[in-house]
Amino acid sequence: MNRKTLLNVGVPLLSLVLLLLLWQGIVVVFHVAPYIAPRPMAAIRSVTDNWSTLWPLVLGTIRETVYGFACGAVLGLTLGAVMAKVGFLQRLVYPVLVLSQAVPTIALAAPLVLILGFGVGPKVVIVAWIVFFPVAVNVLDGLSHVDQDLVNLARVYGAPRWRTFVHIEVPASATPIFTGLKIGATYAVGGAIIGEFLGSEGASLAIFQEHANANFNTAAVYGTTMLMTVIGISWFLLVIGLETLATPWQRRSVARRYRWRR
Amino acid sequence: MKLSRVRIGILAGSLVLGTVALSGGGASAKALTNVTFAYDFPGPDFELVPLVVAQDRGYFAQAGLKVKIVFPPNTSTTTKMLALGSADIGMLTTSDMVIAVNAGAPVLSVANYSMHNNWGLFALPGTSLNASTLKATLKGKRIFSYGDTWTESMLPFVLRYAGLSTSQVKVVTDPTGYDLTFLLAHKVDVSTNTTNYELPGWAGSNKPGHLSELLGTKVGAPDVPIWTYAVTRGYASAHGATIRAFLSAVKKATIWAAKNPAAAAGEFDMAYPKSGYTDAYNKLGWSLTVPILTNASGQYFTQTSAQWTTLARALKGIKLITNVKPPGVYYTNSYQP
Repeated sequence: MNRKTLLNVGVPLLSLVLLLLLWQGIVVVFHVAPYIAPRPMAAIRSVTDNWSTLWPLVLGTIRETVYGFACGAVLGLTLGAVMAKVGFLQRLVYPVLVLSQAVPTIALAAPLVLILGFGVGPKVVIVAWIVFFPVAVNVLDGLSHVDQDLVNLARVYGAPRWRTFVHIEVPASATPIFTGLKIGATYAVGGAIIGEFLGSEGASLAIFQEHANANFNTAAVYGTTMLMTVIGISWFLLVIGLETLATPWQRRSVARRYRWRR
Repeated sequence: MKLSRVRIGILAGSLVLGTVALSGGGASAKALTNVTFAYDFPGPDFELVPLVVAQDRGYFAQAGLKVKIVFPPNTSTTTKMLALGSADIGMLTTSDMVIAVNAGAPVLSVANYSMHNNWGLFALPGTSLNASTLKATLKGKRIFSYGDTWTESMLPFVLRYAGLSTSQVKVVTDPTGYDLTFLLAHKVDVSTNTTNYELPGWAGSNKPGHLSELLGTKVGAPDVPIWTYAVTRGYASAHGATIRAFLSAVKKATIWAAKNPAAAAGEFDMAYPKSGYTDAYNKLGWSLTVPILTNASGQYFTQTSAQWTTLARALKGIKLITNVKPPGVYYTNSYQP
C-alpha cells in the first residue's frame, strides 16, 4: 500500500474511529443510561446479533434506493438536457421543478401510499422525487456553460448536433452532472427510509427501527441508524467510483492506451 | 387645574391599587410549584381534557401547582423525557411503562388514566367482524397498525384466538398515517385502534353506516388499562406531595369532565383551538373516553397488581420484555388522593 492510498483510506478511517471514541467518551463521562444512548459497541452488537433479521431489510432498502435513484437520475438527466436545449421548455418547466421541491416529502407520502399501496412503489417515487431535482439543475447548468468555442469548432468540422452533444457537451458538463448525482446519492437513502417509515407492508428497516424505539431498544435504534448511514455512504462512494471511471481526463492529461494482445 | 387634580388622584389611586394587587399576585405565584407534564402524543387531543379542565377551572392553582403541558416529538419519547428530567409527570401507555422498566428506566406508574382495554379491530360497514368467524375474516388480510407497543402486544392475542400466525396475515405498519383513510381507500382490510379514537374519526368522515368493530377483549386480549400517569422513582421520592397535589387536581377535573362531557370538550376546544380536531370529534371522543375511566366499583385511578402482572406476562409471551418483575416495581397507589 503506497503513501497516497494510506492517506486516502487511513485518514477517513481514523476520523471514524475518533468519532466512535468521542461517542464512547460522552456516554461514559456523563453516565448516560443505556436506554437513552448506548455505547458504540452495544449499537454494533445489536446489528451483528440481529443480522439474519436485518439483512433482508437492508437489501429491501438498497433495492428501493437503487430503483428510485435510477428513475430520478434518468428523469433529471433527461429534463436537464431538454431544458438546456429548448429555452421555452426551460421557462415552462423550471418553476414547476422548484415548486416540486417545496412540497414536504411527508405531505407527498400519504397520497402516494393511497395511490400505489404499501409496497415498493411509493418509496421509489419518493427517492426519485428527491434525486431528480439536483441532477436536473446541475445538468442544466453544466450544459448551459459549455465552452462555445469547442461547440463552434465541432460544427466547423461538420459534426452533426447529436455528435457535438455526445462528444463535446456531455463530457464538458461531466463535473456538474456528477455533482448532481452525488447530491442525489446522499439524499437517496434518506428518501427510501422516509418512504418505509410512512407505510410498509411487512418488515422494513425504518419500521424495525420504529419498533426498536417503541420497545426501548435504544442500541438497535442506533445500530440501524449506523446501518442506514453505511448504505448511504456506500451509495455515495459508488457514484464517486462511477465518476472516476467516466471522467479519466480529470486525473490524467494523456489518455491511457490499451494494447490488445494477439 | 381642578381636572388635573382629579386625574392625579385617579392615577395615584390606581397605582396604589395596582401595587397591592401585583404584590398579592406575586406572592401567590411564588407559592405555586412548577410541574411539567408530558403528554403521550405529539399534539393535543381530547384525552388531555382532564388536564385542560384542571388548568381552566383553577384546580391546579388551588392545589398549589403551575402546570405546563408539553408534547413529545413522537409517541415513544415521553418515558425518555421523564428519565431525562425534561418532564416531571407524564402520560404513557401501560405497555410502554412495562417495556421501559424492563430496559432499566426508573419509571413508576402513580395512577391509571383509564381502567379498561378499549382497543379493537375495525372494518368498513358490512364487513363481518365477530369472534366465531374471525379466522376466515382475517386470514390473508391486510391489518393496519400504527406500530405502537399496545397493538404489538394485543394483536398476537387476537391472532392466537383466531388460530392464525403472524405469517398468515399482512400487518401494514404506518406510524404517521391515518388508518381510516386506508380503510376507505381499500388499501387495508382491517384496522386496529381504540374505540374512543376510531369512532369519532368515522363519524367525521360522514360516510353512511356504522363501522364494524370487535373489541380485543372479546377475542382473547386482556382487559387491562391502556393509559397511565407516570413519574420517575427519583421524582416520586423527592416530590411526593407534588404528585399527590397533581393527582388530586386531575381527579377533581376528571370527575367534573365525566359529569359534563360536552362542556369539558368545549374547554379543550378553547384551550387548543388549533389542535386540528373538530368540536364534534372532541365531544364524541371524550364521551367515549368517560366510560373507560372508572373500574367496576366506580373508582378512578386505582391500579391493581393483577393488571400489571397480566400485561407483563403478555409482553414476555411475545418477547417484548425479558422478565416479569414484581408488580410493585411498576406501580404504586400511594400518591393518590
